[in-house]
Amino acid sequence: MLDLILRSTALVAGTLSLLTALGVVQPAFSQPADPAKEPVVLGVSGPLTGQYAQYGAQWQRGFDLALEQVNAGGGIQGRPLRVQFEDSQSDPKQTVAIARKFVADSRIVAELGDFTSAASMAASPIYQNGGLVQFGFTNSHPDFTRGGDFVWSNALNQAEEMPVLADYAVTALGLKRVALLFINNDWGRTSKDLFAKAARERGAEVVGAEGYLADEKDFRSALVRVRDTRPDGIVLVSYYADGAQITRQLREAGLTQPVVAAGSVYSPKFLELGGAAVEGVHTTTPFFPGDPRPEVQTFVKAYTGKYGIEPDAYSSRAYDALLLLATVIRQSGTDRTAVRDGLATVKDAPSVVYGTVRFDPQTRRVDKPLSTRLVVKNGGFALWEPGTAKVSN
Amino acid sequence: MGAGYGQGFELTPEGPIIVFPTTLGPWLDYTINGLVIGNIYALLAVGLALIFGVSHLINFAHGSVYMVGAYIGWLCVTKLNLPLPVTFVTVAAGCGLLGAVIERVGLRPLRNAPRIAPLLATIGLSVVLDQSAQLLFSPDPRALPTQLPTWRIAIGGGSIGALDLLIAGVGIGSAGLLYGFLRFTKLGWAVRATALDRDAAQQCGVDVDKVNRTVFAIASALGGVSGLLVGMYYNTIDPNMGFQAGLKGIVAQLIGGVGNVPGAIAGSLLLGLIESYGIALFGTSYRNLFAFVALILILVLRPNGLFAQARRLPPEPLTGTFIAPSRPLVLPKWAVWGLAALALALPLAVQQPYLLQTLGNAWLYALLALSLTLVAGTVGQVSLGHAGLLAIGAYASSLLALDAGVPVLLAVPLAGLVAAALGTALVYPAFRLRGHYVSIATLAVGEIVTLVILNWESLTRGPIGVTGIPPLSVAGKPLVSGQWVYWVPLAVLLAFAALQSRLLNSHLGRTLRAIREDDVAARSYGVDLNRYKGLAFAVAGFIAGVGGALMAHFYSYINHETFPAPVSMLALTMVILGGLGNVAGAVLGAAVLVGLPELFRAAAEYRMLIYGVVLLLLIRFRPQGLLGTV
Repeated sequence: MLDLILRSTALVAGTLSLLTALGVVQPAFSQPADPAKEPVVLGVSGPLTGQYAQYGAQWQRGFDLALEQVNAGGGIQGRPLRVQFEDSQSDPKQTVAIARKFVADSRIVAELGDFTSAASMAASPIYQNGGLVQFGFTNSHPDFTRGGDFVWSNALNQAEEMPVLADYAVTALGLKRVALLFINNDWGRTSKDLFAKAARERGAEVVGAEGYLADEKDFRSALVRVRDTRPDGIVLVSYYADGAQITRQLREAGLTQPVVAAGSVYSPKFLELGGAAVEGVHTTTPFFPGDPRPEVQTFVKAYTGKYGIEPDAYSSRAYDALLLLATVIRQSGTDRTAVRDGLATVKDAPSVVYGTVRFDPQTRRVDKPLSTRLVVKNGGFALWEPGTAKVSN
Repeated sequence: MGAGYGQGFELTPEGPIIVFPTTLGPWLDYTINGLVIGNIYALLAVGLALIFGVSHLINFAHGSVYMVGAYIGWLCVTKLNLPLPVTFVTVAAGCGLLGAVIERVGLRPLRNAPRIAPLLATIGLSVVLDQSAQLLFSPDPRALPTQLPTWRIAIGGGSIGALDLLIAGVGIGSAGLLYGFLRFTKLGWAVRATALDRDAAQQCGVDVDKVNRTVFAIASALGGVSGLLVGMYYNTIDPNMGFQAGLKGIVAQLIGGVGNVPGAIAGSLLLGLIESYGIALFGTSYRNLFAFVALILILVLRPNGLFAQARRLPPEPLTGTFIAPSRPLVLPKWAVWGLAALALALPLAVQQPYLLQTLGNAWLYALLALSLTLVAGTVGQVSLGHAGLLAIGAYASSLLALDAGVPVLLAVPLAGLVAAALGTALVYPAFRLRGHYVSIATLAVGEIVTLVILNWESLTRGPIGVTGIPPLSVAGKPLVSGQWVYWVPLAVLLAFAALQSRLLNSHLGRTLRAIREDDVAARSYGVDLNRYKGLAFAVAGFIAGVGGALMAHFYSYINHETFPAPVSMLALTMVILGGLGNVAGAVLGAAVLVGLPELFRAAAEYRMLIYGVVLLLLIRFRPQGLLGTV
């Protein structure tokens, strides 16, 4: 009897979930009749489930906000702007399928994403051959835009970002013997090499470099190696969760040197997860809520009003990327090739990350991001003032 | 980059430079750090050992219970502001209840199903739990502050805090309590009797269901408390924290000897030490490589774990007699040919590139499933590291094409040969192992392949990955359209499937199945186990290697994250779902499991939850697989 009840419960649950799935399918097929009011659709391929889901969720917050603003301002010449967010789990076998779907769907004007290099670059040939712009706004892999002339990126260029970080650590903070901890993926590895070069050029020595695996949580033994190189400062090429973890553990291990972290730790979560230990950590960021520029203030006010939290690096880049594409489409129209050509010629598009955006048509990347020097003070990110924070550790 | 980097360690083209710390000081620190992290592994390993000891099941849902414990703790601490002892009791009670529910809903209905079905059920349960947590609490990591005092005791160059001591106390205390419970209480005797022989215990009047429920409740309560403690330790919890932690717990209890509770603690501490010394000698990036190599060495030298009792019974094979003799669904010949012809003709009728790409992916994964169903189903060597073969094939073919200038059409079969040779050589030490030990050894081999790819930069380009891999092309024309990504894998798949079916119907197939059913009998009949296992792994390696090579040429970019450990799990799920050893089943399993997530795409962030539920339902009502075991 119990078995029967279980069976039927299970079946009902299964049927219900299938119905839910189908129920969500329905609206996708209903299309408005008037072509002048028909939405302009941007495809997004990104992780909403799986191990990178947190980044996809941050993207979505940025996109939703940008969409609200674009559509409140009349959309694209009266047509509403929409985003079709397809969950890829950042799994290459799913991103290639999504790429085929987007390329074949004539409503899609351009594509944004994916998150990891393995997932994004597997899909690049399909976007390139299909003639649909793949706009990788977090793809910093040095070869990402070499996928073809439809592959563009406004991700921070590490060749620009790392010298800025080295300036902060070596020139401003006066560090001479730096130990580096970096996440051992394409971004961390490229950044490490560029930072080491920039630091040497500025007269500092990189005395140790430890690459750690992305899912690492225990850094005690790695920090013993760092300690034994007798550094006078520690540089982190980390995301916010691992950056917070390393900082906690290095303070617990009794290391008191100043910590300088790459801009990717810039997130309210870094402060939450790191607690008191991240006090005094230095970082640079292209985007800072305290920036007085009106576009930044509009964004910060709208974001905190909508979500009740401060924006982080990923949601600000998603917001920025969507506004940029909206600007390009407004100028160049909704033709896919026109969007590509529009990216090459767009000038002075407003951006919370860059100030204004302009692409190098050869590399299809953006140069010269803004950069603000920050330090964690009283549990929040604050502007760093020379001469004061140097001894705060 | 070696110059100017004091002790920092770099992999140069000449190989690793090992830097030995010259004084004793650092070694004391490394030892303490190893014990501290081992201490954390022990919390999970004890629960896993208990469950394995009684139900001979590697519980992949244990990591998820650990995650649930962390979230219940987070609710208690940050939302309800409960005092710490109350939080502990709540977490233990909540997770204990969850454990009992898992046993009742997920596993008891499968008690007469083949032994492999509950394993798959735990994978399905862990998908459901992880996804539910992600939906309820958002995927963002959260802080879990500790209310413990913040004093620290300095030891050597480092220090340990109150939480370290509490974790050690909980680990050793719970092991002690369990030991007492198993030795001196009536229910404990019942648990041990059930562990030794379930049927005999039942005949003696032991309520086996009650025993199982109790064991799951105790182990899950412990797992939940571990999640809480570890969450506090790192001040971070997130919905995906269970998978890696569970993996480490499984490895740790293997080192100690499966099902052995005190051994699990010793194994965990040893694993912590091995990792810490690995970091000391080679660098942080080598941590897991060192751990998994050590695991394989231990398995090879002491196949029952380091702390196995001398008089122990030989381990039960995981499959073999545990694969229920089911009547496979045999498709008539004309139907098979008809289906193949239909599949080949599909792109002529349907021109949706998305559908063709999805099916093309399914055919590529079917190659992996075909390979795995041969070793796991036919020979009974359940491999949990099969994604490693894909990675070897993918890298071999890409590097042959890019660095050696081999034409792609030639590089793909060559990559198959490389994967066959390398795969067999890597798994060879595990040939003498049986049952679960084979699974864990292959899991370790899979991880080793990924970590070597990451660290052997001069060959594999390390974390940067291989870019610009040329596509398959014939006569200068690249085969990149939607039709070709469908046809090429399908043609390769049909060829291999035909070959494998013929193989299984020959005397070779019968010999391989004999090894699965009873290796002692097979050996006494004159079958050289190692040669036949080697043959099976070589064929499997070739098929998976070709599959990986094709993927690399379609993707154009691969790195160490292209074929992660969950791909191995997915492959095993496909194989079990289709029916172990069943060629058509492997193809069907791959089509279903690649297709379902795409089918549920409209459900956005709910789709993996639906996928998990559907998986559980399939196992519940068709435990022998959709097409049955061959």
